Amino acid sequence: MQQRVLTIALIIGLGFSIALLASAMSAWRLPDNQQGYAPQQPIAYSHRLHAGELQINCVFCHSAAESSRYAGIPSSDVCMKCHRLVTAPYNVMQQELQLADKEKRPPKTIVSAELKKLYDSLALDDKLQPIPGRTPQSIAWVRVHNLPDYACFSHQAHVAAGVTCQYCHGPVESMERMQQFSTLAMGWCVNCHRDATRNGVNGRQVHAATDCSVCHH
Amino acid sequence: MAAKFMPPPIAPFVTTRDVFLAAMTKQRSEFRPSETKPHSLVRRGGNQVAPAEAAALSRRQFLEAAGFTISLAAFGGCGRAPVDHAFPAPAMPAGTIPGQLRSYASTCTGCSAACGLLVGTRDGRPLKMEGLPEHPLSQGGLCAVGQALPIGLYDRQRFAEPLQNGKPAEWTTIDHEIVQGLDRIKSQQKAVRVVTSTVTSPTLRARIAAFVKQFPDGRHVVFDPNSSSAILDAHQQTHGARVLPHYHFDRATTVVSFGADFLGTWISPVEFTAGWSSRRAPQANKPEMSHHVQFESRMSLTGSNADRRYAIHPSQQGPLVGRLAEIVATLAGKPLPEKPVANMDGKFDQQLAELAERLWHERGRGLVVCDSQEVGVQRYVNYINHLLGNYGTTLDLERPSRQRQGNDRDIESLVEELSAGQIGALFVADVDLLHALANRPGLADAVDRVPLSISFAPRGDEFTTHAKYVCPDHHPLESWSDAEPISGLMSLGQPTLQPLGNTRAMMESLATWMGQPTTTLAALQAYWKDSVFPRRPSSASASFADFWDVALRSGFVEVTPEPVKINEFNATSLKPLMPTTAADGFTIVLYNKIGMPDARHAHNPWLQELPDPVTKVTWGNYVCVSPADADRLQINDGDVIAVSVGKDAPQLELPALVQVGQHEGTLAIARGYGVKGTDRFAKVGPQWIGANPTVVDGELVGVNAAVFQEFRSGMLRYERSGATVAKTGKHRALAATQKYNSLELPSNVAPHGAEHRDVIQRTTLAAFAKDPHAGAAEHHATDTQLWPEDHPKTGHAWGMVIDLNKCTGCSACVIACQAENNIPVVGYDEVRRQREMHWLRIDRYYDQVSENVDVAHQPMMCQHCDNAPCETVCPALATVHSSEGLNEQVYNRCVGTRYCANNCPYKVRRFNWFAYPHPDLRQNLVLNPEVTVRSRGVMEKCSMCVQRIEAGRIAARTQGVPMADGMVQTACQQSCPADAILFGDMNDPRSAISAALKNPRRYRVLEELNVRPSVSYLRVVRNRDEEARRG
Repeated sequence: MQQRVLTIALIIGLGFSIALLASAMSAWRLPDNQQGYAPQQPIAYSHRLHAGELQINCVFCHSAAESSRYAGIPSSDVCMKCHRLVTAPYNVMQQELQLADKEKRPPKTIVSAELKKLYDSLALDDKLQPIPGRTPQSIAWVRVHNLPDYACFSHQAHVAAGVTCQYCHGPVESMERMQQFSTLAMGWCVNCHRDATRNGVNGRQVHAATDCSVCHH
Repeated sequence: MAAKFMPPPIAPFVTTRDVFLAAMTKQRSEFRPSETKPHSLVRRGGNQVAPAEAAALSRRQFLEAAGFTISLAAFGGCGRAPVDHAFPAPAMPAGTIPGQLRSYASTCTGCSAACGLLVGTRDGRPLKMEGLPEHPLSQGGLCAVGQALPIGLYDRQRFAEPLQNGKPAEWTTIDHEIVQGLDRIKSQQKAVRVVTSTVTSPTLRARIAAFVKQFPDGRHVVFDPNSSSAILDAHQQTHGARVLPHYHFDRATTVVSFGADFLGTWISPVEFTAGWSSRRAPQANKPEMSHHVQFESRMSLTGSNADRRYAIHPSQQGPLVGRLAEIVATLAGKPLPEKPVANMDGKFDQQLAELAERLWHERGRGLVVCDSQEVGVQRYVNYINHLLGNYGTTLDLERPSRQRQGNDRDIESLVEELSAGQIGALFVADVDLLHALANRPGLADAVDRVPLSISFAPRGDEFTTHAKYVCPDHHPLESWSDAEPISGLMSLGQPTLQPLGNTRAMMESLATWMGQPTTTLAALQAYWKDSVFPRRPSSASASFADFWDVALRSGFVEVTPEPVKINEFNATSLKPLMPTTAADGFTIVLYNKIGMPDARHAHNPWLQELPDPVTKVTWGNYVCVSPADADRLQINDGDVIAVSVGKDAPQLELPALVQVGQHEGTLAIARGYGVKGTDRFAKVGPQWIGANPTVVDGELVGVNAAVFQEFRSGMLRYERSGATVAKTGKHRALAATQKYNSLELPSNVAPHGAEHRDVIQRTTLAAFAKDPHAGAAEHHATDTQLWPEDHPKTGHAWGMVIDLNKCTGCSACVIACQAENNIPVVGYDEVRRQREMHWLRIDRYYDQVSENVDVAHQPMMCQHCDNAPCETVCPALATVHSSEGLNEQVYNRCVGTRYCANNCPYKVRRFNWFAYPHPDLRQNLVLNPEVTVRSRGVMEKCSMCVQRIEAGRIAARTQGVPMADGMVQTACQQSCPADAILFGDMNDPRSAISAALKNPRRYRVLEELNVRPSVSYLRVVRNRDEEARRG
């Protein structure tokens, strides 16, 4: 009797262990696989808002993607094309406008905490005037997509071939915080190259070579 | 690979590679054997570790440690990669695209030849120097020195601020004190001297002239350490104008050179190489090429390429020129009233008569040049060219060259004035006065006595230690400049990044002290508006702004030359030469190496490690001794010998090198070495337990041979007779990259009939005219294939053709490859161990068949064989074949078995025995981000600049056009001054390379092995009348 209880207990225990292990195993990755990497950024920039809701084209900010190896992280002055006027979320600015209208006073400039960091990097104060004695500093963005040094990837080549941004970067327009969608492993690259040569990209015939030196030089 | 975008160009920034290399450096320094190194690591006699001491770790302990390490590594591998940041510039300058190559037309300042330059920059960093294809002089070529400019830019040993008595100071303080000092000198009426090497910049020349004019006794003294003063003086006497003719080697069908190394270091080597090589390509239907005769005492690069080369004693040079003048004058019907030389031994009379006959036959198409620093000899050279009607065709005096302006008489009087204490203020730029005039030992004390001495040197040198103030100039890539190398050819140099230090252009310094502060750009524009714009061609725009923009974009502009007044040839100036009697002892011949045209480049590690094209020795100078003398004195390569002249004259100790082709009784020593501060290279290269330092403690790279110069009749002479040689018993192995010299195999080694190897195939013009295939090796065609032909190359098939008849061996391609492909510097000791990393080497072979040795140069890099022997032996599949015929090396797969290198018949593979980090992290900025930096334990080799092929392919696909022929140029091809390298698609029937492959001179090295290389060579043709055995 006692032995039977023990056996049952052991079996249940084993089942639990396997279940736990399996769930843990599924989260394991091969070394250097950074899929799902979504680090916190110095400014809580939302691709969902900009690319999704506001439908800003990817290459408006990542303009080098069409002409260089790198897509480029936009410099702060690109942000200032809009954020010279938009200093806070839309609803906050609207509320202030209505309030000012009601109270019969000129609206105050409201600067959101995140945008303050942007202005700070450009050495601008809340009224967007240069702060004397300070020079603009770069924002230390955390790189999400990071290839090893021995792999050379060209955005230009892929954009020219008609590969959409989302194909590799995933549904960026729905990401609140940017994360790595694909594995970026060599097998993933090579499979796509083979597939593209066989089936074309968006109906276009392409030749995506799989010679080593295409990426490794 | 790091997609980091630059913050403002000055701000230091860090890339992934920097972090990586920093980590490596750290790791390496941790493992570096310290003074208290464990006893077991001490080397005993050889490389073996004493077995009793080696067993410090038991087997069990070892296995425990190994198991622990492996499990740790396994866990460690599952972690995240370290967090990496990207720093976009706060405000991107308009038009810049991160990661994209941008090229700016500019002017090279490596020497006074002022070739056209294309500065390739990425993310605001100048990385790669290329020749400006449209430039009328350099025609797209660029020498090794020009290619090596960027590494000096990122050198942290450049002065970052001005110095006052050796201590850092503020510009304002220094300016204030200098202006006060100048006022005092003005009131005391003391002499002011500005000493520079040749200033090709007309704006700077005008500024210096205006500066010295302020003073009652102010003068600009031009001092070329590699002077052509005698040529200028001779023209003053024969043509009434102190000008240097513009030599047109492209128009010369017969070239006679007495010692002038015009393909190597003489005046404007890139331009001369381009011109010379344009006449070195005989066609089957037009078997014509120039005839080049060289008389010289040492083996120069030019001599090694000549059709006929005669080794002469330096004392014979003058008499030979005189004799040639005499014969030509007789042919011209204007016999000389006086014999140029009284006592002639008549040794070369027959050759000279034949030569004179040929020159006379080709009147107006010949060119006689001479490097003599004796005005009397140069007058006869002028007379020969005058009688032959070469002035106006191959020598241009209407548009003279401004590439050498030095006046040795001025230097001699400056030295006298200095010694007499007559100088009030001394300004020195571009030249280390004390190093270059080491033959005047008391000069340093004399400089100390000068009340106001100012140096513009970018780094510490001998003069800066004695100068009161050092006002460091910018690096040329940080500064605006202009140049007028040939009268009427104006070029501009533009900065490609902000100055990295608190330096100031010489032009601005002088302007500030004149009380008219200006920027260099403003000064240039003002000068161009006043003096250049009015001379513009009629087709140019009428607006100065447009004219300036066009000149800036194209890098140069041709304007009407300033008129020069040339008189009729003054035959009365010809005077018989002083009879020369060969003095007892040796005659020292001082020369400049290709990689070290003057001492300014001594801090450049690329140039220090560039093998000399003839001797193949890197790092430092040596005494070249003729084989006969070496036999007599029992001297071998590397034996340190003491060379001295006279009793109390200085004595130099240098390793000897036995040089074939050198005349007996001469010693050749390179100048430009022994430069203060080059002890910095003591620890260049890997520092491991068996490493020997590149520079011995307390010494420098090489020794300064300028001590043997002397002033003779107003000229600085680079040869000195009466030298003695003594053996010291010491030995210092020479770091040579090639130790086998001959094309002949010893008969006891070679199989019968294979004593002569066909690595270099040669023929003569006479044989070539009869049969364009003359000189071809006879092989049994091996065409059997081990593999099925199932890899047809249907797309591109990349290949290369190298014309050995055009190639001079100048080694520009070696440095071009080094800059493009991130090739490390390994140091003296590693080169000595045959571990240099150059992907492209130039092999040099001697043919000892004839008395006058024949030399051949052959660029050798990965041949990208179709049946590559390296590929079949790689166990890791790290070297494989691409669908376009390239032999690929995949660094991330390579495990370093080195089987491939052993199986390579061309020996072109290089193994990373160590990581070779830059000792100074700032120098990582010179790395090309398109090419992987290889780590330790990885094999590497020429990739045919596959990164350029990929870039070309992407550019073509973006535009939706096929890759055009010539769209992709390899780094070596782009820089080649001789246009000897051709790269392209062998499958494209209309490409230039397809045509070159049909050339009857084409052959492939080691064709008999059936490895089917993609690199072909074109046979050497010497312009000789006899049909030689083999060439």
